Amino acid sequence: MNRPEAEIEALAQALLEAKAQVGQCSVCFHLSAEPVCNICRAPNRDNQTICVVADSRDVIALEKTREYRGKYHVLGGLISPMDGIGPEQLNIQPLIRRVSQQGTGEVILAISPSVEGETTTLYLGHLLKPFTTVTRIAFGLPMGGDLEYADEVTLARALEGRRELE
Amino acid sequence: MFLTSLQLRHFRNYADQAVTFSAPKTIVLGENAQGKSNLLEAVELLSMLKSHRTSRDRDLVQDGQTTAQITAAIDRGVGPHSVKMTLRSSGRRTSVLNGETLKRQIDLLGTLNTVQFSSLDLDLVRGGPAYRRGWLDGLLVQLEPFYAHLLNQYGRVLRQRNALLRKADRDETGFPVGDLSASLAVWDAQLAALGTRLIRRRARALERLTPLAQSWHEQISGQREELQIVYRPSVAREEPGLWTKPEGLQSAFFDKLKQRAIAEQVNGTSLVGPHRDEIEFLINATPARQYGSQGQQRTLVLALKLAELKLIDDVVGEPPLLLLDDVLAELDLNRQNQLLEVIQTRFQTLITTTHLSAFEADWLKSSQILTVEQGKILPADSL
Ligand SMILES: Nc1ncnc2c1ncn2[C@@H]1O[C@H](COP(=O)(O)OP(=O)(O)OP(=O)(O)O)[C@@H](O)[C@H]1O
Ligand SMILES: [Mg+2]
Ligand SMILES: [Zn+2]
Repeated sequence: MNRPEAEIEALAQALLEAKAQVGQCSVCFHLSAEPVCNICRAPNRDNQTICVVADSRDVIALEKTREYRGKYHVLGGLISPMDGIGPEQLNIQPLIRRVSQQGTGEVILAISPSVEGETTTLYLGHLLKPFTTVTRIAFGLPMGGDLEYADEVTLARALEGRRELE
Repeated sequence: MFLTSLQLRHFRNYADQAVTFSAPKTIVLGENAQGKSNLLEAVELLSMLKSHRTSRDRDLVQDGQTTAQITAAIDRGVGPHSVKMTLRSSGRRTSVLNGETLKRQIDLLGTLNTVQFSSLDLDLVRGGPAYRRGWLDGLLVQLEPFYAHLLNQYGRVLRQRNALLRKADRDETGFPVGDLSASLAVWDAQLAALGTRLIRRRARALERLTPLAQSWHEQISGQREELQIVYRPSVAREEPGLWTKPEGLQSAFFDKLKQRAIAEQVNGTSLVGPHRDEIEFLINATPARQYGSQGQQRTLVLALKLAELKLIDDVVGEPPLLLLDDVLAELDLNRQNQLLEVIQTRFQTLITTTHLSAFEADWLKSSQILTVEQGKILPADSL
């Protein structure tokens, strides 16, 4: 009875330590041990395209498709007043700065079609459209589904079929 | 459609009980607090995914247990269906339809359709607008299951928008400081888009239901009274064909939001949208709510229920079940007979009662009679 509990304790501790060590990329806010992550540093990736996601897990899911060769931007959540999350709590200002300063050609919004996701998409659309082309990926994820659970084929198809935000 | 069997495990006061329905009409007989309504509630859950008695699954699980199960076999025109719903005292529901675990609960909607009629339904006339909206929503969910999705999404937008309004910083007089309109705008867009879709569907359903209800009402009242059903969306003036004009409706929605913006910020809650709709019943041009006598109100509710039966039958193409909780004994013999005539053998009907004495002999003759005692069900003749 005691042993599994002790093991869980140890595991939890290990996870906490890992989290403390893994910081965030200062450019895209993806999980990274280095100040700037591998993806942001990769010289052969397309600098003109930024894919905006809610969470680092979404980056990992999209990377698995091997379809996408641009950069990312991790918001760190979605707008949700019920949870006390407004635009100020998300990495939105740094995104606007990135896009306005570096002359991005396209921003792809890859955000789940939940109520909060739609709201965040609308909000970002308004802010970004003066600077660049904004598209969203058109994917029929299950309701309440997250990018993380979408399989690779679905995601790859979604990337191909992205359309411009109205 | 026909519910052929039902099994309840750790559901309310049922530990483990199987029931087989062997006739188009089943009378569930028992003293108070034995489990009659609980049985109907299980059927209601399968058809609406909701109970009108509670919104917490915890209440549905038998005291001292962690999970409850409702299993049902349903005969549809297209063939048999099996449903298993698992409810948890803490945690999410899961449902299995024909052996397949459903990813979304709303995919269960449409498997079993029901119309409920209980003594509480007098609140349709006497109660507040929330009661009538709930009734219409329950009907719509069965007519077009996608409506349940829209309703969920709308509810979520509403809660988020209310949180934003409520949590705004306020000055000493309670007035919000700073400009909320920018942060509200993104929610308004969704509120109006989803709200418009709900309003259109409500208007369309009422437009189809009204003539059916009118003709039943005429028959039951002996042509002495004329019923009108008036839909009053909070964002627009009621007019025929409202649902055919989505653009006009959506711009009316935004106008109303603008008009009520200050009131919303002061009150800290959303005042505009289908959650504020009203449905009004008029008898001979007089609001039934204020002027209808008890008898007129009963006639009205019966007419609405019969109209629901017919509408679901027409739209779905199969007759829904009718669940009569305690209500039959309250109808006079004349209304009982009218109901009986409509039901015939077309609509499978489950009827609860504490006494058989109030029933017409005709009802009893053609019915299966079950006795409920402390969460156990027995055929009446085995006693
Ligand atoms: N979660 C639960 N666990 C155990 N028992 C429950 C639970 N919920 C309700 N009950 C019991 O179920 C009984 C009520 O059942 P029900 O509402 O079906 O009564 P009824 O037969 O319809 O009575 P009435 O004629 O008064 O309407 C009560 O005894 C109540 O204590
Ligand atoms: Mg009861
Ligand atoms: Zn990075």
